[in-house]
Amino acid sequence: MARAIGLITTNYSTKNPSALTEERPVASLPYLGRYRLIDFPLSNMVNAGIRTVGVVMPYNYRSLIDHVGSGKDWSLDRKNGGLFVLPGTAFGTSRTGARFLLRDIEHNKVFLERDTAPYVVCSASNIVCNVDYHALIDAHEASGADITVLCQSADGADEDITKFDVNDGRVCGVSHGVGFGDTAFLDCFVISRDLLLNLLEWFSAVDYLDLFEALQNDFQRFDVRPFMFEGYAAGIFNVRSYFRHSMDLLNPSIDDQLFMPGRPVLTKAHDNPPAKYERGSHVCNSLVSAGCRIRGAVSDSVLGRGVIVESGATVRNSIVMQSCVIKSGARVENAIVDRNNVIPARTELRGTPEAVLVKGKGEVTE
Amino acid sequence: MSKKECIAMLLAGGQGSRLGALTRGIAKPAVSFGGKYRIIDFALSNCSNSGIGTVGVLTQYKPYLLHSYIGTGEAWNLDERGGGVSILPPYATETGGSWYEGTADAVYQNIGYIELNDPEYVLILSGDQLYRMDYHKMLDSHIAHDADLTISVMPVAWEEASRFGIITKDEDDRVLKFTEKPTKPDSNLASMGIYIFKADLLLAALKEDAIDQQSEHDFGKDIIPKLLGDGKRLYTYEFNGFWRDVGTIASFHETSMSLLGEQPEFDLYSKDFPIMSNASTRPPHYVGPNGEVTDCLIANGSRVYGTVKHSILSIDSYVGERATVEDSVLLPGARVKDGAHVVRAILGENSVVEENVNLGSVDQTKDTAVIGDDVVVGKGEE
Repeated sequence: MARAIGLITTNYSTKNPSALTEERPVASLPYLGRYRLIDFPLSNMVNAGIRTVGVVMPYNYRSLIDHVGSGKDWSLDRKNGGLFVLPGTAFGTSRTGARFLLRDIEHNKVFLERDTAPYVVCSASNIVCNVDYHALIDAHEASGADITVLCQSADGADEDITKFDVNDGRVCGVSHGVGFGDTAFLDCFVISRDLLLNLLEWFSAVDYLDLFEALQNDFQRFDVRPFMFEGYAAGIFNVRSYFRHSMDLLNPSIDDQLFMPGRPVLTKAHDNPPAKYERGSHVCNSLVSAGCRIRGAVSDSVLGRGVIVESGATVRNSIVMQSCVIKSGARVENAIVDRNNVIPARTELRGTPEAVLVKGKGEVTE
Repeated sequence: MSKKECIAMLLAGGQGSRLGALTRGIAKPAVSFGGKYRIIDFALSNCSNSGIGTVGVLTQYKPYLLHSYIGTGEAWNLDERGGGVSILPPYATETGGSWYEGTADAVYQNIGYIELNDPEYVLILSGDQLYRMDYHKMLDSHIAHDADLTISVMPVAWEEASRFGIITKDEDDRVLKFTEKPTKPDSNLASMGIYIFKADLLLAALKEDAIDQQSEHDFGKDIIPKLLGDGKRLYTYEFNGFWRDVGTIASFHETSMSLLGEQPEFDLYSKDFPIMSNASTRPPHYVGPNGEVTDCLIANGSRVYGTVKHSILSIDSYVGERATVEDSVLLPGARVKDGAHVVRAILGENSVVEENVNLGSVDQTKDTAVIGDDVVVGKGEE
């Protein structure tokens, strides 16, 4: 029998909308050239042997369904279990930011009831990390806690991250926003399936709340314990953190914490050939995805799949997403260029390191 | 099983012994090529892109990597119900079993597979060639000629002609003469080893060949001359495009290099006829602050801190600080450590060139240097 099933929530909006999240949920935001944010929780689950995963969909689910499909790329196209696409509740009536909206889980109770696994691992999709969920479940079993929450000591202030007050190894309070050294919630927890079902029933009158908001006054009754994660974790809540945490990966020692042999990050496979560098190309300190063709200069940047940088074009300190074309002589600097954009010859697209310029999705079709 | 128009029998059992160190542990069709591919990707992608959904893959020599790589055929969209990829290794019956003795014998031993699928036509392919071809066009030509056998041919340089099966044809593309490796060729049309047979005729020919004591059970040496002698309708289908059988280290190196440059002979970037692969999911490659890359193909998961020119870096390759790589092919996982210099070399999968080692020679008269899979080259061993 499987030890746990997985539940991934994506039905929440960001408090800080930008052109990047205008047409897509945060869960399907492209990350690091070839990934989408949901790849991380999904891969974590699959790498821990979880073979039944429900994904609560947001209202603008097109790009997400397109990406996860039947779950094939995560070995979740299975006879038993596999990927379950679960409807989220009506969007817009909820407050932004609630990652584990009770109503979203309540409406999909059947998914939880039909399985027999003892545990449920729940994760939102804003936080990029590669975690061994086995260790999380082991800790949960060993401590006998009701809920074990994945946490990390905050390395700085962030108003979008949930903070737990911890006393003697137990959570005693929850609030929004963390400061340096606080116990920051990585939006992932393990709970017994039965208890989750009971909680849904108990809190049915306040199903417009986030699970942890609902638990606010019950931390005496429920034993909630943090499980501290030491590796790299990056919360992506706005353009600034998206940019910063993409650039983090230009440090190979951080890459090694996200991409490791035993726990691969899986994503939708494409048949892109390797990147091609022509004579005269100049690339340094950059991540380059498959299918790129480079004749110009690229530095301190992340290029998505199939990006073309023509001769004499320059890309500096920027993120250029899938299928963009940087025409001859164009300059892109301190910018995020969403997919399918053509930057015309001899034009400039330039932000500053403090205020990165965002260019929304373009119209080019592949 | 319902009747099918055409199925493919893909011969992938060859050792490719002339590839030396590269095929010590794996079959030739499983050898890595072009950064993220394995040689068999080309034939499987051709089948998929040509709408041929039933493919029997005949394996024999060191098949594990090949078997696990092909898997369900899903990577080439060949995991179809009632068809898809079937792996066909030699097997035993109540009267014993035997190895595949030749190309025709391999197919003969799997007559049961063909009968099970009951197709009208059978396409015979080799799993160790690099090319892009729409087999459906060849099938159309086969049907239009009402041919018993259609052989795909291409013109080759006259001085090379004696390496191939050479065909002389009439104006209507009917085969007049077929000579395997002629010393004095009278045509430069070479057989590419790609055949479409009427299924009934193929089965009859294979059964007849199987009991012929004189036969070497080879399509080129035995089956084709016999059918021609019997007055069957043999036609050619002319192919004009990039096609290579990378038989030797030298041709493997040369063919790899032909993927480079502004106008490469073989364009991997065609969108309507993609070459698909079952490559593992790895992050984008990283070029370090002092990295210098020009005229290269670089696959995912690689890291480049040194200088790389006119080379191919396959998945998860590594080139250290101050290291240089030139005119070379690094197969998946190959590592060139800090300060090492590699020129005109092929580094096998997961091989290592230790720090400050010099490997290979710019001297074109010398052979391309080859390091086998998992081999470590230390100082003084180069």
